[in-house]
Amino acid sequence: MNLKTISAGRIADKVNRGELKARDLAEIVLQNARELNNKLNIFCSIAGAEALEQASAVDQKIEAGICLPLAGVPLAVKDNFMYKALPTTLGSSQFKSFYPPYNAAAVDKLIAAGAVVVGKTNVDNMGIGSTTLDSPQGPTLNPGDLQKVAGSAGAAALAAGICSLALESDSGGALLQGASHCGVFGLLPSAGLVSRHGLAVHSGSFCRAGVSALFPEDLPVALKVISGYDPRDAVTAACREVNTRRDKTDDLSNLVVGYLETLSGSAADPRRNLVKDTLNRIAALGIRKAAVQLKHLPEALRAHQVIAAAEASSSLLRYDGIRYGQAIEAEDLELLYRKTRRATFNGEALNRSIFGTYFLSKDGYNRYYRQALKVWTLIREELKTVFEQCDLLLMPVVRTGPFLASGETAYSDLLENDLFTVPVSMAGNPALCLPAGDINGLPVGLQLIGKQFEDAFLLSAALKIAPAIISDLQGFNGGGN
Amino acid sequence: MKYETVIGLEVHVELLTESKFFCACPNHFAAEPNVNTCPGCLGFPGILPQLNKVAVQKALTAALALNCEIALFSYFDRKNYFYPDLSKGYQISQFHVPIGSNGYLDLEDDQGLLKRVRIGRVHMEEDAGKLVHSPAGDTSLVDYNRAGVPLIEVVTEPDLRSPGEAKRYLEKLKSILQYSSVSDCKMEEGSLRCDANISLRPVGSDTLGSKTELKNMNSFKAVEKSLEHEIKRQRAILNSGDEVVSQTLRWEENSQETIVMRGKLQAHDYRCFVDPELAPIQLTIEEVEEARQNLPEMAEARAARFVKDYKLPGYDAAVLTASRSLADYFESCLAIYDNPKAACNWIMGEFTARLNSAGIEVDRCPFTPHFMAELLKMIDDGLISGKLAKEVLDQSIASGKSPSQIVEKENLTQISDHGELEKIIRQMIAEHPDSVENYHGGKTKALGFLVGQVMKETKGKANPQLVNELLLKTLEG
Ligand SMILES: [Zn+2]
Repeated sequence: MNLKTISAGRIADKVNRGELKARDLAEIVLQNARELNNKLNIFCSIAGAEALEQASAVDQKIEAGICLPLAGVPLAVKDNFMYKALPTTLGSSQFKSFYPPYNAAAVDKLIAAGAVVVGKTNVDNMGIGSTTLDSPQGPTLNPGDLQKVAGSAGAAALAAGICSLALESDSGGALLQGASHCGVFGLLPSAGLVSRHGLAVHSGSFCRAGVSALFPEDLPVALKVISGYDPRDAVTAACREVNTRRDKTDDLSNLVVGYLETLSGSAADPRRNLVKDTLNRIAALGIRKAAVQLKHLPEALRAHQVIAAAEASSSLLRYDGIRYGQAIEAEDLELLYRKTRRATFNGEALNRSIFGTYFLSKDGYNRYYRQALKVWTLIREELKTVFEQCDLLLMPVVRTGPFLASGETAYSDLLENDLFTVPVSMAGNPALCLPAGDINGLPVGLQLIGKQFEDAFLLSAALKIAPAIISDLQGFNGGGN
Repeated sequence: MKYETVIGLEVHVELLTESKFFCACPNHFAAEPNVNTCPGCLGFPGILPQLNKVAVQKALTAALALNCEIALFSYFDRKNYFYPDLSKGYQISQFHVPIGSNGYLDLEDDQGLLKRVRIGRVHMEEDAGKLVHSPAGDTSLVDYNRAGVPLIEVVTEPDLRSPGEAKRYLEKLKSILQYSSVSDCKMEEGSLRCDANISLRPVGSDTLGSKTELKNMNSFKAVEKSLEHEIKRQRAILNSGDEVVSQTLRWEENSQETIVMRGKLQAHDYRCFVDPELAPIQLTIEEVEEARQNLPEMAEARAARFVKDYKLPGYDAAVLTASRSLADYFESCLAIYDNPKAACNWIMGEFTARLNSAGIEVDRCPFTPHFMAELLKMIDDGLISGKLAKEVLDQSIASGKSPSQIVEKENLTQISDHGELEKIIRQMIAEHPDSVENYHGGKTKALGFLVGQVMKETKGKANPQLVNELLLKTLEG
């Protein structure tokens, strides 16, 4: 069975009707996962017996007459979500054999809905990053070009046809960028809509849980499963009033899609044309366009770096290898801390720990942190104004294609690449990455952004627009052959 | 030169809640280490803090009881530092905006005049765990039972002028927090901890001298003693022309002196910032007013009521209400026993003396108010003498058995049976004819001797009044 030609919804249908055994599918999927993993380095761990047991449990429920929305659907889970059955490595040798004593809320909900966890997907050190270049097992390769990174291992698992859904996290663009690089649909739900219980949060302000899929119609179903108030995550209290907001669009001619009039000069040309082409295509559906401005985009990027670093420098302090995970033996405690943290932190987690400590210090607080908070307010206000002029905002996701898997990329380029994804991170809006075309033989996505908690509306509109946008993708082969 | 003492106190108080501040672990004293823990308070990844609203309510009550202005909008900050007893590497605390500020407490100064001690802030925070060092000193273990327990920190302005004032402040603070059910304030269990800042300055000067910080005082008495000690030490330094070094000192209870704990006081950079994982605390004016209305009767008001309702002398009422638990004990006893003065005398006298010498808290004492009422009734009914009652009290405290159980078991009931006593009296008169003669010869002392003989014969169980009465009747008849 080729997962790239059948949606999660149809898989669930077949399993619910008894036409397909979840267990049979799981066996095929696991074998596929093992084979492709050798080539693409997608998984930190692949579930064996656990996945088969889960699938059998699904089959038993179906036989007992229970209908499950995600019955038998193969699911990839990013390795910064806690899952009891497999180690949760957080992309660090400190946690290489850490079995958390609890499941993440989203993992529990997806399993309860019938999904089968195929494996834990590769993640940057301490869950920080959008390349997997900072993973101890090396980067996950892009199924479309093995010289390049996938960005998100979950998106790679979808593009390679191993899974139908991927549980993802995002704090500055990892989810959307990964979806863009791999040509899949990535949904970053509104802040406060999905519980982060069991997600190793390094930035309470920006970390969110989301989901990616091969087929856009699977996203509303998955979102319904994982969203909702959870007392274990205080920010989800805000989503209890969501039902008062609009949830679908009936008439596309009433829809106004905004776009950035002046894309920042450094956006490579083909990408700017992609936005233009896409706008023309959706205009043909009767949708109106509106030019809008996000003047603080460059400052938002800097502010996001400062705040994310500050929060990570504090949130990662707990990783000392003493209460859980592994510490490196030393003569005294101070040395144990130093050795352990030096050996198990790298890349962006290390950078943010150092810079963030400075940003929060007496000297750095006023100079950087306080200023960053002001910019945060500005970009939120600015996005609010934008949504007075349009219902949805169409923007690029990335400035450049996926980085080289060899890691030969300037640090500044890595940071700059978050330019288009940080506004949403900072303002809490939902965003959906749709594959919109390809450049140099690799898929490129665009993001549609909605108002906070209008996720259902965003998805409903996107599903109507998607066929007009993704036509170029026909024939794209994500297998990397 | 004459110096003026300037003291400020920082008091940490554990809040009386069922569970911890940000997880569901129980908040009570546990003998076994690390039993009151969960992934949340152990700082596991992926567990976000869940605010205990009762703790906020208690902190609000405390701030109101201490006459503070209440911040309707406040939030939690993270105070970052690396220490093994701090599971997350940061402490959740209120740094930028405390829930209460600009409060005060009124107390008597050393001249007996009323003075107002300003309370700069009352803020909420979570407690850290505790390090347990091995006797050999080669290993340290961490007990996280206390990690995440809700606290308030009450910080005074430097308004206290003597160790005595500091002690009275603490007593008053303890009474208010106990009365308002904010905390049980048990210093020996660590639910009230006090650090003191102290400096001296020439009388008349209005600039502050350089201060030292005192830690590790385990009782109010120790606070007073350590401050007295530190005043002497600082005065000697200043008189010799040197400067007091700003440092942290540790009070050593055994040697009754301070030792240097940390060198120069330096402002540690805790890199405080708003905790992004917790929602801000938003209180409404209605909530605050409701909490203000619900503030309980405090010690002074209760003492006044005791004087009025129970006709107790003012002094007695003040002693009984000094701690809420003693006042509660008294009133629970009165619910089943109706002689307030007798209850007051026994509770203030014999009972308190025994608690003090045994070092037991009122509410932990096995001798319940019910037992006290039972004991007092037995005295009133003439079943036991006052002297015997003290013995019963001792035994009851030691064994936890009720007074009636003890009296019954030990066969301690007073002999008030006329027939039985008359028999013994006749026997004693027969055995001591010379005493009888002396009595008739006008020596009244002889009567005392005979009463004593009867008491001796009955092993003290005879009702002495009755013996006296019957003996007279027999001798005169
Ligand atoms: Zn706990």
